[in-house]
Amino acid sequence: MAEKRTKKEPAAKKETKKPAAAKSTAKAPAHAAAPAVSPEKSLAKEARVGVYICHCGTNIAGSIDIPAVQEYAKTLKNVAHVDNYQYMCSTPGQKKIETDIKEHKLTGIVVAACSPRLHEPTFRMATKMGGLNPFRFEMANIREQGSWVHMHDREGATAKAQDAIRIAVAKASLLQDLIPKSVPVEKAAMVVGAGIAGMQAALDLANAGIKTYLIEKNPTIGGRMSQLDKTFPTLDCSQCILTPKMVDVGRAANIELMTYAEVDAVEGYIGNFDVTIRRKARGVLTPAEAEAKGIVGGGCNGCGDCDVVCPVIKPNPFEMGMKPRKAIYIYHPQVVPLIYTVDFDSCVKCGLCVDACGDKKAIDLEMKDELVKVKVGTAVLALGYDMFPIEKKEEWGYNKYENVVNSLEFERLICASGPTGGHLVRPSDGVTPKKVAFLLCAGSRDNTGVGMPYCSRFCCMYSLKHAHQIIEKIPGVQPYIFYMDIRSFGKMYEEFYYRIQDEGAKFMRGRVANILENPDTKNLVINAEDTLLNRPISLEVDMVVLAAAVQPSEDTDRTRKLFGVSKSMDGWLLEAHPKLNPCGTTTAGVFLAGVCQGPKDIPDTVASAEGAASAASIPIHIGEVELEPYFAQCIEEKCAGCGMCVNLCPYSALALVEKDGRKVMQVTEAKCKGCGTCGGFCPGGAIWMQHFATPQVVAQIDAFLLGGEQ
Amino acid sequence: MARTKGYPEALEKKLADTRLYEDERHPEFTKTVEKISMTIPHMCFQCGTCTASCPSAPRSSYRIRKFVRRSLLGLEDEALTDPDLWLCTTCYSCTDRCPRDIAPTDVIMAMRNLAFKRDIIPVNFLKTVQAIYTTGHGVPNNDVNRAARKKLGMHPDPPTTHRHPQYIKGIQYILDYFELKKNADRIVKEREG
Repeated sequence: MAEKRTKKEPAAKKETKKPAAAKSTAKAPAHAAAPAVSPEKSLAKEARVGVYICHCGTNIAGSIDIPAVQEYAKTLKNVAHVDNYQYMCSTPGQKKIETDIKEHKLTGIVVAACSPRLHEPTFRMATKMGGLNPFRFEMANIREQGSWVHMHDREGATAKAQDAIRIAVAKASLLQDLIPKSVPVEKAAMVVGAGIAGMQAALDLANAGIKTYLIEKNPTIGGRMSQLDKTFPTLDCSQCILTPKMVDVGRAANIELMTYAEVDAVEGYIGNFDVTIRRKARGVLTPAEAEAKGIVGGGCNGCGDCDVVCPVIKPNPFEMGMKPRKAIYIYHPQVVPLIYTVDFDSCVKCGLCVDACGDKKAIDLEMKDELVKVKVGTAVLALGYDMFPIEKKEEWGYNKYENVVNSLEFERLICASGPTGGHLVRPSDGVTPKKVAFLLCAGSRDNTGVGMPYCSRFCCMYSLKHAHQIIEKIPGVQPYIFYMDIRSFGKMYEEFYYRIQDEGAKFMRGRVANILENPDTKNLVINAEDTLLNRPISLEVDMVVLAAAVQPSEDTDRTRKLFGVSKSMDGWLLEAHPKLNPCGTTTAGVFLAGVCQGPKDIPDTVASAEGAASAASIPIHIGEVELEPYFAQCIEEKCAGCGMCVNLCPYSALALVEKDGRKVMQVTEAKCKGCGTCGGFCPGGAIWMQHFATPQVVAQIDAFLLGGEQ
Repeated sequence: MARTKGYPEALEKKLADTRLYEDERHPEFTKTVEKISMTIPHMCFQCGTCTASCPSAPRSSYRIRKFVRRSLLGLEDEALTDPDLWLCTTCYSCTDRCPRDIAPTDVIMAMRNLAFKRDIIPVNFLKTVQAIYTTGHGVPNNDVNRAARKKLGMHPDPPTTHRHPQYIKGIQYILDYFELKKNADRIVKEREG
């Protein structure tokens, strides 16, 4: 059913939405008409600027001479009032602005304090409360770019603060009234990635009454969590707690699940993202798709008859390649949706499966990729992680020695539904290991440029759990855990550490230097130092498990670029603020859930997903978003209609229109991001960038270069 | 002696106060070592990869990790007077594997330089200096080697200062310039008479 809807609805939606979009475009010039007629003239009014200098406790006052800055500000042109306060962002600080606007008849406000990223909205609100247009406020950053970076140069920092204020006053003298524009928000959301983070986010959004498109690149949802055997510290079976959620996702009326699909293109902005989804050719029809084709009672029911006859054998990536699958396959019996998938890279098109499928006619070996367009208001990225290719750290012999495995392979080997039915065996000879070493920080906390500099955060805990699992399953087994620090930071985690130590795991405080293989027995000799005894160790074990670092999943970079999301230095996606806005991004309307923002264990991932879902639902529930009015405007009397700006605009926001018998440029304000590309290029100077207009910017430059003389 | 009342002297050593006091620390020692070694021992997090990689550690009391720790804390006297300082083979295995990208070998080399400035150096190192000064080799050729080389069809002397003794002068010039030979002779004389 779900699949059928996908194809029809977007088309229908497009038709219904088009007029609305067209209307808002048509309305835009009328709305902009007031300033657009002659924006330059609106600057003519006499300017009276109020300047406020914040101490920020000692953050600013500790390295900047506030009285000196205040005295200096009084000498500046257009400055009608100067004041300072301990914390300008506090209620009394804001009150000063509100009362002074009336008392001193101010036309512009400058606050010299922190970064506008922190408190620009605060002071805009204060400006508005005082009766001025909020865009008549300008911030001078004298903290992040002043006192903090010149902490030991009081004189220099003070001089720089004076420069910053002079520049801000120059701009504030020329600021105009601007009116933010509201656009309607599409009442639908998209979640990219259907691991535990994506599933949780989608379920929350759907339960909040929002139509949610859940996109997953694999044939099934479930992600990494479905590969795990047990979860720490409660030792819940991972599948047992996950599969009910997977079924919920499959059933939820508000979730439109698209597996084996990826995001192909994203256009638009918050409230109105047009997303193109590539539904990869699956080669198998769902019952709904079959019905649409007129095959009554047909489509894949997951019987597996095709699997039996398929002659092509490939490694199953879900089992880390340790179990075979056919060219027509499902990852494991609990997949959602329970629909087979043809791997067209290895399919020989012998047609045996088609025959086996019989009257259900579910298999179509000629199927092609399909592009589907949907419109959503907000999007949540839950792109997940991959294991770091630990063979790059050659000293540990992964991929060289058979009995060195990574932790995800261990999860499959110890899992009851895994390739060995949950009996841990050595890959070299199938024998049950009696001595197993777990290497923590394998590729994490590594500053050599080979591994990852960060802590992967959940390896300590899952390695403790691994030790528990072998103690539970193998009588007489001895786990050794080679660690630098055990980071058991979560609720009941330290207690879990206590429990595992009590169960008999031996903790060796030292990082392993190298591993050598005994070629006869395939046993492994570990060289490390017991740093607590101050003695080198040589330890022969049967098997080694590398708790390899995690890194952003393969597709992360491509997808994040489509949504215009940045990444931080370590490769994980960049949140809007690491503490106060961990789910948001710098692209309005796009949110992050789970590990793609940075390594997280399952509880943190679920919490992050719920946060992202909540954040993504806010604009949808409000129904409209306010765009900052930093739009380009055409000064029509100057426009020659050359159209060069139209081609330059990266957001397709500009167009040439006929007006009074000649061509002029017109801006679709909702699409314009105020990047200024057109304004900087226009040969006739006919483009007015609101809030960053040429006279305003030139005044700032003059104020800096000429020290205030203009 | 009176205090131990005839107990072995070792007991006094055993009962000595071994606590680390702040006045043992010389932060400028850390800086000097970092400057000479051009590496970052202050970033060590004591994982032990270096000691575990060390071919010397399993058969000696040499612990490279301990020396990096001493340079981090600025324990100048403890580091420079420990005879273990001279047990590094400079194989650079620790440098290869250090996850914090420190070059522990270079830390050792820097500390050896500083120790030499205080005349702390084993005599065998000085004998090597003397050997290099006279022959251009730390381990000069000998008759056994020469016979072996001949047997293998090679020239009895390698194409170094052994075959071209005229270049020894250049090596001597370098050693004289840094007064290495002069200091070596002086210290050997002081120790051995």
